[in-house]
Amino acid sequence: MSSQDRSQARDRVPGPGLSTDAAGWHRVRTVMDKEWAEIKRNRAILWMMALLPLLLVAMVLGTDYFIIRAEAKGQDTDADEMPVPEQLKHLPPVEAFLVQMNEQYMFYLFLIPMMLPVYIAAYSIVGEKQTRTLEPLLATPVTTEELLAAKAIAATVPAVLLTWLSFAVMLLGLRLVAPPSVFFYGSRPVWILAMLILSPLLAFLSVLCGVIASSRINDPRTAQQVMGIFVVPIIALSLVVLAGKIFVNVQMVLYAAGVTLLVDVAALYLAVKVFQRETILTRWK
Amino acid sequence: MIRTLGLTKRFPPTGRKGIEITAVEDLALEVKQGEVFGFLGPNGAGKTTTVRMLCALIAPTGGEAWIAGHKLGPENGAIRAKVGILTETPGLYDRLDAVTNLSFFARLYGVGDVQGQVAKYLHMLGLWDQRAELVGAFSKGMRQKLAIARALLHEPPLLFLDEPTSGLDPEAAHLVRDFIEALRGEGRTIFMCTHNLDEADRLCDRIGVIKRRLIRVDTPAQLRASLYGRGVLVRLRAVAPEHVAVVQALPFVREVRQADGSLTIQLDDPEANNPRLTRALVSAGADIQFIEEVEHSLESVYFDLIAQTGEEAAT
Repeated sequence: MSSQDRSQARDRVPGPGLSTDAAGWHRVRTVMDKEWAEIKRNRAILWMMALLPLLLVAMVLGTDYFIIRAEAKGQDTDADEMPVPEQLKHLPPVEAFLVQMNEQYMFYLFLIPMMLPVYIAAYSIVGEKQTRTLEPLLATPVTTEELLAAKAIAATVPAVLLTWLSFAVMLLGLRLVAPPSVFFYGSRPVWILAMLILSPLLAFLSVLCGVIASSRINDPRTAQQVMGIFVVPIIALSLVVLAGKIFVNVQMVLYAAGVTLLVDVAALYLAVKVFQRETILTRWK
Repeated sequence: MIRTLGLTKRFPPTGRKGIEITAVEDLALEVKQGEVFGFLGPNGAGKTTTVRMLCALIAPTGGEAWIAGHKLGPENGAIRAKVGILTETPGLYDRLDAVTNLSFFARLYGVGDVQGQVAKYLHMLGLWDQRAELVGAFSKGMRQKLAIARALLHEPPLLFLDEPTSGLDPEAAHLVRDFIEALRGEGRTIFMCTHNLDEADRLCDRIGVIKRRLIRVDTPAQLRASLYGRGVLVRLRAVAPEHVAVVQALPFVREVRQADGSLTIQLDDPEANNPRLTRALVSAGADIQFIEEVEHSLESVYFDLIAQTGEEAAT
C-alpha cells in the first residue's frame, strides 16, 4: 500500500450501514446536490447557462437562414468567392459556403464546455472561500478527493449536457432551415464523435483550471478570465477551418482528444496538489 | 477524551524570504470526558491551529494525539466523524435555507434520521420558524445558533467551539452560554477557545493558557490560588498597627496589606485558618465588621501568566 493509498484509507469513514465505497459515493452525491441547489439560486450562473448556448445556436441558425433567404431573393452573398476545401467542391457554391461556415461555428459550440464549468467551479470554490464554509465542510468525514470529484462533476455535467442539447437543437434547426446537404455535413459522425468525446474532456479541463485559479484568487470573475487563454486556440482553429485550409476528420478529432486528455492529466495533477485539506485551510487566502 | 503528547505544528517558509513559523510547540494536554475545557491565549498564540490539529483538519509536524479514542493521523476519518466544530466564523451557505444547510451536513456526517435531527436542533435553538428562510438574511446571532446546530447534528461526544459568543449581542451570547451549560449536562466534552475571560471563568471546569507553548492548565480557582495564594479581606472599624502586627505573626499568613480601614491577608487554607485569624484579631482589640474571600479576576490571572511568559522569553 502506497503512502497516498494509506492517506486515502485513513481519511475514509463509512456512515451508518454503509460500506466505505457506498459512503464515499453518498458524500459525493450529497456535495453535488448542494452544488446544484446553489446553482439554481445563482442568477449569474443561470443567465450564463441560458445565454451562451442560446446565442451560439441562434448565431448558427440565424446566419444560415439569412444567407439562404438572401440567395433565394437573388442577392449577392459572395458565396462563390469563398475558398472551399476539396471535400466540398462538388456542392453548389452557397451550400459549400454554408457548410464551411457551420464547420467553423461547430468550434464555437465548444465554448460552452470551456466557459460554463470554469464559471460554475469558480463560483463554487471562491464562493466557499468568501463565505468561509470550507473549514466546516472539511471538518466532516468528506475526503478532499470526494470533494474535488463532487465539485468537478457538478460543474461538468450541466455544461456537457447543455453542449449536447445545443448541438441537437442546432441540427434540428439545420434540418428545418437549411438544404439537406448542409444538415448532412453538420450531422457527420465526426462532429457527433467530437461532441461526445471533446465536450467532457474540455469541460473537465475547464473545471480543473477553475480549481487551480480559485486557490489563488478571491473573485470568481478573475478565475473565469483564466479560461480566455484556452479559448484562443479554439477561435484560431475555427478561423483556419473558415479559410478552407483544413476539413475536420475523425483523425483530427481523436488527435485533439488525445492532446486534451494529456492536458487534463497535467491539470488534474496540479488541481489535486492545490486542493489538499491543509493547503486549503492554511494557504488559500 | 483528548490526550496530546508533544504536539507541535511548524509551518514551512513561504516565498523566497519566508521563515519557518512554529505555531504550536510541545503541547501536552489531557481533557477528560464531560469536561468543559477553556483554551485561552492572545491572537496568534496557536489556539486555532491546535483546534484544527485536534479536529484532524491539519497534520501536526511532531508529537502524538488521541481524540475520542482514535489516534490522530491513522484514524483521521474516524476522528472527524466523532467531533463537532464551531469555527471562528459560522461558515454557512447564504443562498440555501436553514433546513438545506443542516441537511447537507447531516448527510455528510452519515446521520441516519436527517430530517429528525435537523428538526430537533432547529427547535432546540429556536430557529424552527425560520427554517425555510435563506441563511443570507439571518442575523449574526441566528447564524451562530445555526452553526452550533450544525456542529451537533451527528451527536458528537466531543465539541470544539472557537469563540462561540464572539460578536453576539448580550441576549444571544447568554443563550449560547446556557446552551453550552445544557451540553455539559448531557455529558459531552467541550473544548472552547475564547477571549471572553468572564465566560471562560463561568463555563469552564479547567482552563489552559497557551502562547505557542502551553503555559498553565488548571481549574480557574487553582490558577488564582497558585498565582496569588488565597486571601481574605477583613474590614475593621479602625486599623491599628498592633492589628497588623498580630496578623503578621501568625504562621499561616503569607502577606498582609492595609488600605482604607481594611486588611487584605494572603493565607494558606482559609477554611481551616480563618477562625484562628479572627480570634487573633479580636484578642488584639480589633472591631471586625466584615470578612470576605478575595476573588482575583481570571483576567488578572491571564494577564499575569502571559506577562510572565514574555519575561521568561526575554531573559
